Amino acid sequence: MSSTNAAVGRARRSIADLALRLRLGGVVVFLLLLSAVFATLNPQFLTWQNLAVVASNASILAIVAAAQAVVLLTRNLDVSVGSIMGFAAYLSADYAAHHPTVGAELVIIAICLGAALGLINGLIVAYAKVSPLIATLGTMSLYRGFTYIYAHGQEVTSSKLPHWMLAAVDFRIFGLSTLVIVAIVVVAALGAFLRLFPLGRRIYAVGSNPVASVFYGLRTERVVLFAYVLAGALCGFAGLLYAARVGTVTVILATGWELSSLASAVLGGVSVAGGSGSVAGAALGAVVLSCIDNGLVLLHIPEFWRMFVQGAAIVLAVAVDVAIGAQIRRGLRRQRFGGRLA
Amino acid sequence: MSSTSQDRAFWRPSAWEAFLVVLVLAAGTWSSILSPYYLNIDQILESSRHFLIPGLLTLGLMIVVVTGEIDISLASTLAVGAVLFAKCSAHDVPIWLATPIVTVICGALGAFNGALVAWLGLPSLAVTLGTMGAYRGLAFIIGSEVGYTDFSDAYLYVGSEEAFGIIPIALIVFAILAIAVGVLMHRTIFGRRCFAIGNNREAAWIAGVNVRRTKIVAYAIAGALAGLAALLWIGQYGSARGDNADGLILLVVTAVVLAGVDINGGKGTTLGVVLALLLLGTLRNGLGLANVPGPTQTVVFGALLVLGVLRPVAMTAIRHARSLRWTRSDRERKPEPAKPVGT
Repeated sequence: MSSTNAAVGRARRSIADLALRLRLGGVVVFLLLLSAVFATLNPQFLTWQNLAVVASNASILAIVAAAQAVVLLTRNLDVSVGSIMGFAAYLSADYAAHHPTVGAELVIIAICLGAALGLINGLIVAYAKVSPLIATLGTMSLYRGFTYIYAHGQEVTSSKLPHWMLAAVDFRIFGLSTLVIVAIVVVAALGAFLRLFPLGRRIYAVGSNPVASVFYGLRTERVVLFAYVLAGALCGFAGLLYAARVGTVTVILATGWELSSLASAVLGGVSVAGGSGSVAGAALGAVVLSCIDNGLVLLHIPEFWRMFVQGAAIVLAVAVDVAIGAQIRRGLRRQRFGGRLA
Repeated sequence: MSSTSQDRAFWRPSAWEAFLVVLVLAAGTWSSILSPYYLNIDQILESSRHFLIPGLLTLGLMIVVVTGEIDISLASTLAVGAVLFAKCSAHDVPIWLATPIVTVICGALGAFNGALVAWLGLPSLAVTLGTMGAYRGLAFIIGSEVGYTDFSDAYLYVGSEEAFGIIPIALIVFAILAIAVGVLMHRTIFGRRCFAIGNNREAAWIAGVNVRRTKIVAYAIAGALAGLAALLWIGQYGSARGDNADGLILLVVTAVVLAGVDINGGKGTTLGVVLALLLLGTLRNGLGLANVPGPTQTVVFGALLVLGVLRPVAMTAIRHARSLRWTRSDRERKPEPAKPVGT
């Protein structure tokens, strides 16, 4: 009896594993196909230099997409990521402008600012039980509004930023920007955390079945709150990176990133219904978006086709996701009930 | 639940709608204290223009949200409508022919969303996020990047002229459409089905409601209303370009939530939508006249949205506290986890 149960359990786990791998594999295949198309149409696409540009353009979005994925995994949503980035970027840049001797603690300031805003989101969503879309839509305009009010129409120019901050971003290793390496490290660490640590597993558990996780004894509110704080902290960090990259920090920094981060996560196979997907997938989704941007520019296709292609890609990715999900559910049912129902 | 929402049509406001009326009056009073220019019938009617375009989108979104779905691609649909009007105008299509053509095409774009959501069972938030980009791209593809401004007077008439020299025709159009949507949602079988689906999709299906068709029709109506909003848009701004109404959807969602429409579906009234628009319009007008800078206005609107969503939470908490007094077993009951967005 127990041995059959274990066998079924093993089989189910393997199917769930397969599902995750299929989705990740899907993104990789899509990325390769896309690259192949662009490379045949314009050989310049596949040069080391160009690929480095693609990677560095994708790097900051990859971090934000990973943050978005963490929230999506809990069956929630954060549309305030762009505003958190703008808030953290402006406030920390302003701090740096007034304290020219500031060192690496600036990074901690930016992360804490982001985490604080994430905490507000998490409290509203997890404890006040407000629909995540609406709650973060509200905080999105609140955070952006506060940044405007704080800035008083000013901007922080690159000459006021500490020199090391700009130099760190411009530094290159084998032609790869440090941004790329930072993004890979952050996403890998986040992925390992979600996979190996109990709290990480709980994020998946809450998203895949909130009711079951309550019965299991998880404090779902805390898990969701943690996911939002983590996402906020990551966005704060990404905001600082972006500020260092563009040099001049304005209040509209990272407007519209909520959409591209969502698009990356969805393209990368993170389910908006929660509990399924990986941060690595979300990061790859960001690379796909960056590839589309780059390829269309190289092919001299007008910029507005980008929106159309991106939008169509999102719809396609969601459709594939749902189809795979249905297939897997069917497979699971067949296993659970043996040949009787199949 | 649905029957209370349905029967409460125009003249029996709920507590929340009564509260909205009070808020509108308070905002109006406050505005007239702040600025001597506020209390002027010309000024008030003229300022209503800013809320008629998002108003039409809000009416459409309300229908979709009542069925338990969402459509964030409506502003992009409006942009498609605007460039289509530009194309028609450039080819000398008479306006009486152009309006139905554009409305039908925009309705078809909405129906496409609906088909993806209802037939393929895709999550509506993710799908309309995709079509939001795709339709905006489509608008640019149709109209190219150059804005079109050579509209003939007939095209501009509805969006720019006034009846009797004082009432904007756009306002009359909005009023007629608001009443039509109100009747549709609160007095017809279609509306009843929408509320039924939003409350409990499975139950509605078992009761014989064609869930798929109803949802597709709801999306199509929202799209068609966005097409009509495009007619007002070209009249008001005299130009059409692919990036028209970019970002407007935030205001529209704010209005829907403020209106007391349950974002999870099954609850909401047309009266609430009109009142919420009135409140937002009065606030924007008053704050503008009082020279309050735009960012502060953004904060006010964001705060309103958060307050709007915290309201049902507070009411549930009060109800829960009351029920605790009656049945002690309620203490054991865990609160229901939130429904996933867009499913």
